[in-house]
Amino acid sequence: MWLWFSKLGSPRWFYELSGKWLPWLYAAMVVFMAVGLTWALLFVPADYQQGETIRIMYVHVPVASISLACFPLMAVAGTITLVWRMKLADMVAKCVAPIGAWFSGLALLSGAIWGEPIWGVWWTWDARLTSMLIQFFLFIGVIALRSAIESQDAAAKACAILAIVGAINVPIIKYSVEWWNTLHQPASRISMDPMAPNPPEIWVPLLIMIAGVYLFFIITLLLRTRNEILVRERRSKWVQDLVRKG
Amino acid sequence: MTDKSPVSVADTQTLTSLGKAFRSTLSRDLLIAFKRRNDILNPVMFFLIVVSLFPLGVSPDPQQLSVIAAGVIWVSALLASMLSLDNLFRADYEDGSLEQLLLSPQPLYFMVLAKNISHWLVSGLPVVLLSPVLAYMLYLPSEAYGTLFISLLIGTPVLSLFGSIGVALTVGLGSRGLILAVIVLPLTTPVLIVGAKAVADVSFGLPVGTHFAILGAMLALALTIAPLASAAALKISVN
Amino acid sequence: MTIGSNPEALLEGRNLYCERDERVLFEQLSFSVQGGQLLQVKGSNGSGKTTLLRILCGLNDSFEGELYFQGQLIEEQRDQYLASLLYIGHRSGVSRILSPRENLRWSGALHYPIADADIDDALAEVGLRGYEDVPCHNLSAGQQQRVSLARLLIGRAVLWILDEPFTTLDVHAVAQLEVRLAHHVKNGGAVLVTTHHDLKVDCRHDVLDLDASRVRSSV
Repeated sequence: MWLWFSKLGSPRWFYELSGKWLPWLYAAMVVFMAVGLTWALLFVPADYQQGETIRIMYVHVPVASISLACFPLMAVAGTITLVWRMKLADMVAKCVAPIGAWFSGLALLSGAIWGEPIWGVWWTWDARLTSMLIQFFLFIGVIALRSAIESQDAAAKACAILAIVGAINVPIIKYSVEWWNTLHQPASRISMDPMAPNPPEIWVPLLIMIAGVYLFFIITLLLRTRNEILVRERRSKWVQDLVRKG
Repeated sequence: MTDKSPVSVADTQTLTSLGKAFRSTLSRDLLIAFKRRNDILNPVMFFLIVVSLFPLGVSPDPQQLSVIAAGVIWVSALLASMLSLDNLFRADYEDGSLEQLLLSPQPLYFMVLAKNISHWLVSGLPVVLLSPVLAYMLYLPSEAYGTLFISLLIGTPVLSLFGSIGVALTVGLGSRGLILAVIVLPLTTPVLIVGAKAVADVSFGLPVGTHFAILGAMLALALTIAPLASAAALKISVN
Repeated sequence: MTIGSNPEALLEGRNLYCERDERVLFEQLSFSVQGGQLLQVKGSNGSGKTTLLRILCGLNDSFEGELYFQGQLIEEQRDQYLASLLYIGHRSGVSRILSPRENLRWSGALHYPIADADIDDALAEVGLRGYEDVPCHNLSAGQQQRVSLARLLIGRAVLWILDEPFTTLDVHAVAQLEVRLAHHVKNGGAVLVTTHHDLKVDCRHDVLDLDASRVRSSV
């Protein structure tokens, strides 16, 4: 186990292994996305309340769920950076931050597009949208801190601390926003809960879409991390050999 | 030579006790703040000015102002706390006192806590004390004064503590600009939400015991983790 | 390469490796300092003298290798180590707003309880009698450096790590500091010092040359 752990920490090993995974991940993503999207857009029955707009859910929910996973992931990677000083963990942490910001932004955008037909406005201070917005700010903060610190080592540790503090804060933000929201706008709490008692023809394609978007997320993260590995290890022999081979 | 005895390896028993070191750091920071009175005055003046801008920008109508008073005062207190944060570690970083603090054989958690307490006494407490005056100027319903005061009294230390993490992370940076606010403000949203809602709710005649309990829990959490995170961040910043 | 650390040594670094900005500052650097020894760290600009001293204090942890204090790993006894250490770096650690006395009260109290009379004695000895209550921003750079050096007189640390302590000092103060260093070493203390000035001390004086990365004795 420990050997595996330290081996995983080797950027070169990770680079080579992830290179083998990528084609399979691509293939799986294409299958899931194709099935999920076709099913969701063409075959899912329109909602009796929301009509055709329910189909936006099949993009919004996967994107939002991934963006929620990014902060804990960044905090875990940060903890590994601080405790075991594993360089690979910091590369992952660095690459997750912009992806998390993008997915938060996409979740906000798709939420707005969904909100317009439902609520009649592009933006409302709904609990989920509000906490998503604050989470987006948190990601921006981590990215800003990373780019402000010149020393790579110091940036790694500083961002790790901020990620951990932020991850402790995310649930607090979520609950305080929900608590704040219940009194202000109870009317806006239309169920966006995918696990609500719905017939399988609604949630099965949703699960497929979630899997597809997760695969997309993993592929993006791997590509970014591989890129980061090459940049940071550019002086090492194996990277230079790789470049020479073309 | 004032030196008397041959040097030997230090005996940790004779070290300054934690309590004394804590008081020494606290009184040093208070003394510095007292010598630079602007450090005390600026946050309060900023608070006063920002709050005064709202009647000018929104409307002097008492009804409108009394609705937004709680939020305006809370947001202004948050911004005032943010702007005063830079004093917390900057001078110490630049003159090397921070290195000496990190190299002292005292637990860093308590040393950072002492600095945070001093900072709050100087920049947070005056804002809290001034808040009833501003509440009056913004026509906050009189039954909400006590709640505003108490919520700020519990809430502003949390702002200072969370802010301290941000300052500790950025104190070594040459160009800080707005990065401190970008890092810290999102972290402080729960305090703002609960604090402002307590004042708003009491104006509607609702009970606010839960609000204070939540604020108290946030303060307890901040007291536990923020000095640790700040200490770790300071070590990185001097590295 | 010896296995197990040297119990005689007060401070020992073994196999130290440090790189900065993708450039190796030093590697396989091993050295030790004992009580009764002054070790001068030499090296050209950018050779990593300051970095080495900061690593030894624990201010910088971007290095590989082991550090021992009295034969035990420093990380296992950090408080004991810090209680025995006095560091003066490029930044003097003197607040410009406070007076010399107020500065020393605080930096002294972080380590050991200290009476005001001892502080005033120390300030008098470094030539700052009459300046005890003057805010430090009214003092010259050399005088501020003296405030910092007065900590050598009030502290009880056995290990002194001094980074360029002679800069900004006048001829008289330089000689006085050299006497002070020799006195500390003869009393059983240890000094690690970097300086570009030609150090003349009447005690055991060794040199650690970072350009050569090995210790040679000059006494």
